[in-house]
Amino acid sequence: MLLAGGQGSRLHALTSHVAKPAVPFGGKYRIIDFPLSNCINSGIDTVGVLTQYRPLELNAYIGNGEPWDLDRSYGGVHILPPYMREGEKGTWYKGTANAIYQNINFLETYDPEYVLILSGDHVYKMDYAQMLRRHKEAEAACTIAVLEVPMAEAPRFGIMNVDENDDIYEFEEKPKKPKSNLASMGIYIFTWKKLREYLVADEADEKSSNDFGKNIIPAMLNAGEKMTAYRFQGYWKDVGTIDSLWDANMDMLSPDNGIDLYDNEWPIYARTPIRPPHFMGKDARVTHSMVTSGCEVYGTVENSVLFHSVIVEEGAVVRYSILMPGTVVKKGAVVEYAIVAEESVIGENARVGASPDGSEDWGIAVIAQHLSIGPSAVVSPKAMITRNVKGGGVK
Amino acid sequence: MMKTLHGIIFAYLSNPDLRELTQNRNTCSIPYGGRYRVIDFMLSNMVNAGMSDVGLIVDANYQSLLDHVGSGKDWDLSRKHGGLRILPPFGYSAGKREGAYRGRMDALAGVRSYLQNIRQDYVVLAGGDLAVNLPLNDIFEAHMRNDADITAVCTSRPLGSPKNCDYFTIGAGGRITDVSVHPPIAQGCESLEVYVLSKELLLSLVDHCAAHNIPSFSTGVLQGMVGQLKICPYVFDGYAARLQSVAGYFARSMDLLDPAVRADLFAPERPVRTKDRSDPSTYYGPEAKSINSLVADGCIIEGEVENSILFRGVRVEKGAKVSGCVLMQGTTIQAGAVLKYAITDKNVRVNPGRMLMGHNTYPLSIAKNEIV
Repeated sequence: MLLAGGQGSRLHALTSHVAKPAVPFGGKYRIIDFPLSNCINSGIDTVGVLTQYRPLELNAYIGNGEPWDLDRSYGGVHILPPYMREGEKGTWYKGTANAIYQNINFLETYDPEYVLILSGDHVYKMDYAQMLRRHKEAEAACTIAVLEVPMAEAPRFGIMNVDENDDIYEFEEKPKKPKSNLASMGIYIFTWKKLREYLVADEADEKSSNDFGKNIIPAMLNAGEKMTAYRFQGYWKDVGTIDSLWDANMDMLSPDNGIDLYDNEWPIYARTPIRPPHFMGKDARVTHSMVTSGCEVYGTVENSVLFHSVIVEEGAVVRYSILMPGTVVKKGAVVEYAIVAEESVIGENARVGASPDGSEDWGIAVIAQHLSIGPSAVVSPKAMITRNVKGGGVK
Repeated sequence: MMKTLHGIIFAYLSNPDLRELTQNRNTCSIPYGGRYRVIDFMLSNMVNAGMSDVGLIVDANYQSLLDHVGSGKDWDLSRKHGGLRILPPFGYSAGKREGAYRGRMDALAGVRSYLQNIRQDYVVLAGGDLAVNLPLNDIFEAHMRNDADITAVCTSRPLGSPKNCDYFTIGAGGRITDVSVHPPIAQGCESLEVYVLSKELLLSLVDHCAAHNIPSFSTGVLQGMVGQLKICPYVFDGYAARLQSVAGYFARSMDLLDPAVRADLFAPERPVRTKDRSDPSTYYGPEAKSINSLVADGCIIEGEVENSILFRGVRVEKGAKVSGCVLMQGTTIQAGAVLKYAITDKNVRVNPGRMLMGHNTYPLSIAKNEIV
């Protein structure tokens, strides 16, 4: 069950038109491609995708699940939006646990022994089959995937305190003084019968915020259920903020990033548009960058990720930036430390973003989708542009 | 319009001048243009014209084609009714025929029962060695407007080699008045070997030719019946590549570095579809250099590439230099190797420090899976 209903408000302009899981990532993908591909690569062929916020593009993207081999006559991928019931009952998904609660009927049509709960905003490769093995061996009611994070960063995460068998005895949400550095990755395996009990009880509790981390996990711990941790090693990134999204894209450029996108043993699948190969012009200069089909590069591109159909004209310079599908950087424009969303046009000799200068005001500049930045306009670092900028204008 | 045209592609054709390129495949499944097989172009033309039923006539050596087209889903041709059909030889000509098809009429006779069941009133016949973005709807409209028996698509910008091509003389009244089959030198408009005719006429021609032992469409039908049938030309002057020899393949590949050619062939309103492989983007390393080149997804380029076509999943390691080359899917050029004017077929590996050099007019062609 893949929780894909979140707005991702910390991505601001990038999620004004799409749900966070549908945000483009890594040149070829959308964030949701990672959990979906992990599922099929792990041998999971029945996946429910719970949608709520701006689902149009996400629904169209998932379609019948064919790119992930999830178009099945039994099982496959199901889009699960909230819905009305008899007597005009029914609500939006109130929280992550409520979203699953509202789909108990769906789960029971497949009568699973175990349920895997995933979220649609993490970039990682993981074999859920190994995690399930751990869950079965431990005879646990719940298994939570955890990642060792630097102790200094532990206060930002939900921290699991475990005994010598890696069984969880305590869960602390963003502790000021963490006792361990095992951070929850938001990936849970439940024995379905157990989870069903706790979901029903949680729904009956009016004070509950119907959330896995805040309610279900603590309730199970308090009741003395067997909860165990599954230690994950490898690349994992929550791409919920502008900075982390930019960082994670930059990570994809390092050959030893721990998440080899070129590894055919664990491919990440995507719905791919029909575009010819990309073209490098006579004066193109492209280094340490990713370039995708349909692109045409006549200028300079360094340390950047170009999605499909991006055009970088003569004399334009793109550095440390992420250009989403169909963006155009006109002649002489300079784009640095920026994220430009789909189909936006950077006018001639415009400047977007700047190199870090150590000041508080510095940050990644973001241009929302379908905008035009006029010729010679200047977009300062950390700006969040949601409207067209006139030529020569400063924002 | 939707349901009136049916496609037949002669996917069995091969040409000995293509040497290594057709060692394991027919002409129609030769990789071309960085991520395509030649047949993708004609299949896409048909789908883009709203056609829903396409038959591929195959004879031998078609494993690579089957692997590529699969159920036809990448062209939206996996349908409940109709869709893509692979047509190996069967039935009608059993016992009469020995060895490969002798010509198109022979091949059509081999699939006579399939032709009988075509749901559409008109048929497009096309070869498998042509990369072109054809407006088939316009061609069909012209066919109806001219009240032609057969419309033959041709170009006044010949690119094929005359000994493999047919040429039309267009007379007064815009009709084809003479047909030269494989002449020593080009004369008139070069046939693209794409024809529109009614299903009814097609069936009667197949029966006539089978009864008279006429295997060839060019000589038997076009040339032989130019007086009886109203054969009208449709002159298409956009880009059209006939792949008939290794040197021709190389030259037509290099044409793709011209933006005007790409604009013609990859016209956004008529996209060219192909098998989806879910490759990641192409990565360029810190010391990479890539100029005037067409590069598909899934490559890792850490050396230098110029004036070249790179297919999916190619590796160019540090210090390697590739110039004027066509590197097909999965080629690896190891550190420090130098390649000039070469065509490497799928999964070729060139070991570190090797130097290979062909010439513009005689490119070096390295067969599939070879290690240099």
